[in-house]
Amino acid sequence: MIWQQIVNGISVGAVYALIAVGYSLVYSVLNFSNFAHGDVLMLGSYLGFFALTKLGVPFGLAIAIAMLGAGIIAMVIEKIAYRPLRLRRAPLLYLMISAMGMSIFLQNFTIVTIGPNFRTYPDVLPTKPFAVGTLSIGRLDLMIFIITVIVLLLLTWLVYRTKIGIAIQAAAYNMRVASLMGINPDLIATMVFLLAGATAGVGGVLFGMKYTVYPWMGVLTIKAFIAAVVGGLGSLPGAVVGAFVLGITETFAAAYISSAFRDLFSYLLMTIIIIARPAGLMGTVAQEKA
Amino acid sequence: MSKKILIAMWVLALLVSLSACKQQAKEETIKIGFFGALSGDQAVWGQADRDGVILTIEQINAAGGILGKKVELVVYDDKGDQLEAVNAVKRLINEDKVVAIIGCNSSGRNIAVAPVAEEGKVPVISTFATNPRVTVPEPGKVMKYTFRVCFIDSYSGYVKAKFAWDDLGARRAAVLYEISSDYSVGVRDFFKQSWAELGGELVADEAFKSGDVDFRAQLTKIKEANPDVIIMPFLYKEVALSTRQARDLGITATFLGGDGWPSSALLEMAADAVEGSYFVNHGDIDAPNVQEWREQYKKRFNKDIEINSIMGHDAMIMLKAAIEKAGKAEPQAIRDALENLKGVEVFTGVINIDPETHNPVGKAAAIIAIKNGKFQFYKQFEPMK
Repeated sequence: MIWQQIVNGISVGAVYALIAVGYSLVYSVLNFSNFAHGDVLMLGSYLGFFALTKLGVPFGLAIAIAMLGAGIIAMVIEKIAYRPLRLRRAPLLYLMISAMGMSIFLQNFTIVTIGPNFRTYPDVLPTKPFAVGTLSIGRLDLMIFIITVIVLLLLTWLVYRTKIGIAIQAAAYNMRVASLMGINPDLIATMVFLLAGATAGVGGVLFGMKYTVYPWMGVLTIKAFIAAVVGGLGSLPGAVVGAFVLGITETFAAAYISSAFRDLFSYLLMTIIIIARPAGLMGTVAQEKA
Repeated sequence: MSKKILIAMWVLALLVSLSACKQQAKEETIKIGFFGALSGDQAVWGQADRDGVILTIEQINAAGGILGKKVELVVYDDKGDQLEAVNAVKRLINEDKVVAIIGCNSSGRNIAVAPVAEEGKVPVISTFATNPRVTVPEPGKVMKYTFRVCFIDSYSGYVKAKFAWDDLGARRAAVLYEISSDYSVGVRDFFKQSWAELGGELVADEAFKSGDVDFRAQLTKIKEANPDVIIMPFLYKEVALSTRQARDLGITATFLGGDGWPSSALLEMAADAVEGSYFVNHGDIDAPNVQEWREQYKKRFNKDIEINSIMGHDAMIMLKAAIEKAGKAEPQAIRDALENLKGVEVFTGVINIDPETHNPVGKAAAIIAIKNGKFQFYKQFEPMK
């Protein structure tokens, strides 16, 4: 049973990881938590769903549509909800409030336009899981894990190896100095939201396939946010590590301690980490972010 | 400038309130309130409740109304949230001045709302809240203004145990339940009690929290315990997710659910996973006495009925009987009439309210099977002795 529980934990962690990097990416550059991130994920999930069911496009293209769509949506959100505040040097708290407002708006907008129903993704893969001895490994879980790894590798390459990525890192390190060096902060913000939105888009499709799609699914990403905090908000590797730690902790707490208090252990883990290592598992206090 | 605007607004407000007065004076109606989840997780049922009530009111009005007066319905969405439900009921009582309220489909929200009804002295009839504490918060105490049209969880738990033991031949049972839901916890407790009385073995008792989407950790444990039957007293979204995940993990036990299951959304979302499962329900939407009304409902709303539509209808018929018995549409009189209501025929049986508990006594449950991707009436269950 322990192996099955590890598989369960990893499959939960993989989805968290994809969502957590979005929180970290935005935090690393702009120093605030984008609470509308979960709703970008939700919109991405719907985009992928409609691309598959209404347009009948192949799965790969559906993911691409969801990534691009969610990326653009995130960019637009940054433009209308955050940039005006940032340019006026409003306190970060206001950005957070603006994010919450955006989140409520997007949820209700979706309920009104698309409807409150749950939708189920069509089966892209045969649903029967692989059986390895008594172990059952879902094909979908395996695919999610692979896609997550690919997306995270791509993101790492983009942030650490490309010019724009290095600019993002510089901005994350110190936005003001970076702008003195000729880096346009608005462009960086746009890029960061585009990237975070795109990861949320693919996350939404995978989340929707694994579970279901509905307008308030974004609230579930609070777990991914916890994962980002556990790993060290602002650190990309931290977000990934935090996601898997949280996924496995949760699963083990449910399996070996008490399923009734599973979430208690998630929050307990976060509390302990915050007390013991305020910057998270992978962060340092004066950290180099991104 | 701003003064002008103020004056203009004041005049406008005056006009609006005047015209409102006029409208009220034109025709006296019986104002009834409704609250339910019109959005959120439980929207399928809240909307079905509401539509059942609306259609029944339209039919009552077409036949001349109640006591010669037309019935008017005020509807609020509680989004499946307890706080919103309390606000909705407060508004219905204080601002809309309704004489009675129908709603809702959830035990948790009805428990939250009961003291508000008590304070406002307006009776509430719940369509689907099955937890005993909705009307009887503690032994010997009854919520004076809260009633229900459905059977309660102790009966539903008993039916699940008896059915699993007799009809399914199960001896090892597992329970998966939603710890944050009064309904789910209630059914689980009563099932455990009845199951122990029958001599059955409870091999696993696992919980999850509302909003969870991943149940693999709990299901893996349940699989280890190797039960014959898994009791799943929660709502269709979680049922769809958990049954799919259970089948993925290779669990072959029979799933046995409750009145949170019946929704066409379940069949869409769960697909093959729920094939061969059973659930305990308040009635059968395929019963002959419902079919004519079902056609009218389809015509009116362009969709098929849910079991909640029937419960909405039954609650409205129960309320109509109470108002007629009271002889006047006044909250206190309606409450008094409800308390001793006897022999009211509705789709799901005959309503006889027990004044001690405010529950309809002697209602029978229907067992529904899921076969070939459809809900099929399996059998009528005996009322508990």
